[in-house]
Amino acid sequence: MASRIYAWLDSRLKLKSVERTLLDEPIPGGASWIYVFGSATLFLFLLQAVTGMFLAIYYAPTPDHAYDSIRFIETEVLFGAFVRGLHHWGASGMVVVIGLHMLQVFLYGAYKPPRELLWMVGVVLFLIVLSFAFTGYLLPWDQNAYWATQVGINMVGTVPVVGDLLAPVLRGGEMLGALTLSRFFAVHVLFLPALLATLVMVHLFILRRVGPAGPWRGGSERRKSGETASQREGPGGSGFVERRVRESETFYPRQVFMDAVVMLGIFAVVAVLALTVHFPLADKANPSDTTFVPVPEWYFLFYYQLLKYVHGPLEPVATWILPALFFLGLLFWPFLDRNPVRHLAARPVALVAGAVFLVIVFGLLGISLRDLYAVPRIDPAVARGKTVFAQFGCAGCHRVHGEGGAVGPDLSYVGDTRPEREWHLRHFRDPQSVSPGSFMPKFPLTDRQLNDLAGYMLSLKRTP
Amino acid sequence: MNHPEAEPTDSLSPGLCTPVGSRRNFFQRMIGIASGLIGLGLAIPLIGYVISPMLKRREQSWVEVGSVAELAVGEPKQLDHVTIIRDGWMETKSHKAVWAVKQADGQVVVFSPICTHLGCGYRWEGEEQKFKCPCHGSVYDVAGKVLDGPAPRRLDVLPSKTENGRLLVMYKEFKSGQTVPIEL
Repeated sequence: MASRIYAWLDSRLKLKSVERTLLDEPIPGGASWIYVFGSATLFLFLLQAVTGMFLAIYYAPTPDHAYDSIRFIETEVLFGAFVRGLHHWGASGMVVVIGLHMLQVFLYGAYKPPRELLWMVGVVLFLIVLSFAFTGYLLPWDQNAYWATQVGINMVGTVPVVGDLLAPVLRGGEMLGALTLSRFFAVHVLFLPALLATLVMVHLFILRRVGPAGPWRGGSERRKSGETASQREGPGGSGFVERRVRESETFYPRQVFMDAVVMLGIFAVVAVLALTVHFPLADKANPSDTTFVPVPEWYFLFYYQLLKYVHGPLEPVATWILPALFFLGLLFWPFLDRNPVRHLAARPVALVAGAVFLVIVFGLLGISLRDLYAVPRIDPAVARGKTVFAQFGCAGCHRVHGEGGAVGPDLSYVGDTRPEREWHLRHFRDPQSVSPGSFMPKFPLTDRQLNDLAGYMLSLKRTP
Repeated sequence: MNHPEAEPTDSLSPGLCTPVGSRRNFFQRMIGIASGLIGLGLAIPLIGYVISPMLKRREQSWVEVGSVAELAVGEPKQLDHVTIIRDGWMETKSHKAVWAVKQADGQVVVFSPICTHLGCGYRWEGEEQKFKCPCHGSVYDVAGKVLDGPAPRRLDVLPSKTENGRLLVMYKEFKSGQTVPIEL
C-alpha cells in the first residue's frame, strides 16, 4: 500500500531523484561514528522545538502568570515535569553536542578551504543557540530567572556607545518587567526558531555543495601516491578542487544508522535526566529582594567565574571586549589559520591554541563548580529540625519557599531576619514572651528537638 | 574501506560504495527501530500532556445561594451562585444565576438557568406565569415542563438541599439539544 502511494507520488513529483540526492550523498572515507555530532545537534534542536511547542500549550508569558503556569505544568499536568525536563536537559545536551561537533570540525581541519562559509554559518548558529539559552532562562520568572537576566542585560549595558541603547531595547524600557518577559518570549519561540531553521538549511546547503571533509589525507595514502599534502589540500591553480576520494560510501544506510543509534542514545540520556534529576523552581521573581544571588546555567559558569577576577577599569575587558574578540576570532578562524594542511600532526599552533582555550574554559568551570558545590558540611541537626518541623505540622501556618500556610510569618529566610539561636529557643518555649500578641501555641518539645528546630530555622537563609 | 558486502553498484557514481543485501536490511531495520523508539518515547508522554486537563473531574461543591424564607411559594426567583473555581493555574470567581421555585410543601426546586434547546438564558414572565426563552421561543411552565417551542426536554433540575433555612445548590451543566439530561 505504502509503496503504491509512493509510486503514485513519484510518477508526479519525481521523488526518486530527490531520494537519491538526499540518501546517496557521498561520505568520503566511509561512514564513521566521529561524524554523528552534526546530526545529533539537529536532533536535539528538533527535540527542543517539539517540547517547546508543547510547553507553550500551558505557558503564559506575563509576570503575574508565568511562574504559576510553570508550577502548574510541573505539578498538575500529566507528564508536565517530564516534558519540561526534556526541554531543560535538551538545552544542556545541545551545548555539549555542539561543543563536540565544533571540536571534531576543528581537529579534522574541516573549516579550511573550501569550507570557510560552512564554519562561519556554524558559528552564527552557535550564537543563536546561546541566545536561545539567554532568552529561555527568563521565562519561568523565578528568582534565578529574574536576577540572572538582570545581570545579563546589565553586561550588555557596559558596551560603550551601543550598550546604553541596546540594554533598554532588550528590556523593553528602563525596567525588567512585563515588557521584558513578553519580548523574551516572542524572541525565544518565534524569532530565534525562524532564524535558526533558516540558517540550518543554509548550513546544510553549503555542506552539500562543498561536501564533507572526510578523514585526514596524508600518512600512508600520501606516501602511496607520492603527492604532498599541499598539492592535495592547498588552493591550487584550479581553485579549491579536491581530488575525489577514491573510496566513498553513501550516506544511507550506514551513516544514517550510526546517526539514528546516537540519537536514540541521546534521547535516552535526556529522558533519564528529565525523569530523575529534578530542577526545582526558585521562589517567584521578587524585584524587591536584592539579596538573591543568581547562578547561571553550567555552560555560562566559566564566564561567570571569569567576571569574579576582573575588577575596576579592566571590567569591560571581561564583560564585552573578550567575548567580542573571541566570537570575532571564532567567526574568522578559517582566515586566521592559514595553514592549508588539515592533518593534526602538521598543525601544532592551532592544536596548542585549541588546547589552551579548552584548559582555560574547563579550568574556570571547575573552579566555579567547586566554589558552588563545596557546600559547608550540613549540620545533621538541621535535617532533624526539618523532621520536627514536619512532625508538629508547623507548615500548617508557616510557609517555607512556597510550601505551607500563610497564617503565621513566612519562614523562607528566617535565618536572616532572626539570626540568634537564643531567640528561637525562647520563642519555641513561650512564643508570647518574645513576640507579644502572637497566637502561636506552645509545643511540647524536648530540649534536643528545640535545638534541632532552632538549627533548622537558622539554616533558612538566602545564601547558605 | 573493506566491507565484505559493500560494493560499488552500477547505479552509483564510480568510487561510491553502499552496503547491499542482508547487511543493508539490517541497517534499515535498526534505523526503523531507533526512530520508532524515539517516536514512542515522545508520543506517549506528549499525548498524555495534551489531554491531561480532560482527565480531571470538575470539582463540584455545595454553594449557598440564599435563604429559603425569602422565597415566595410558586414565584420563581433568580439567585446568585458564586464559587471560586480553579481555572488552570488561576483561581477565578465563577458567577452563575439559578432559578429557585418554592413549592407548596416548603421544598425548593432549582432549575439550571440554561434553556435545554441550544443553551440561551431564559426569563420568567410573571404575568403569563411562564419561563420564556428569547432565542428560539421555547416556553416552560413553573414546574419546568415544555409548553411550546423547540425545547427537546423539560428544564434541568439542579441538586439542592436546605440546611438551617439556607438553600444550597450544586451547579451542573448539561448537554443541550438532547431529550434526556446528559451531564457535562
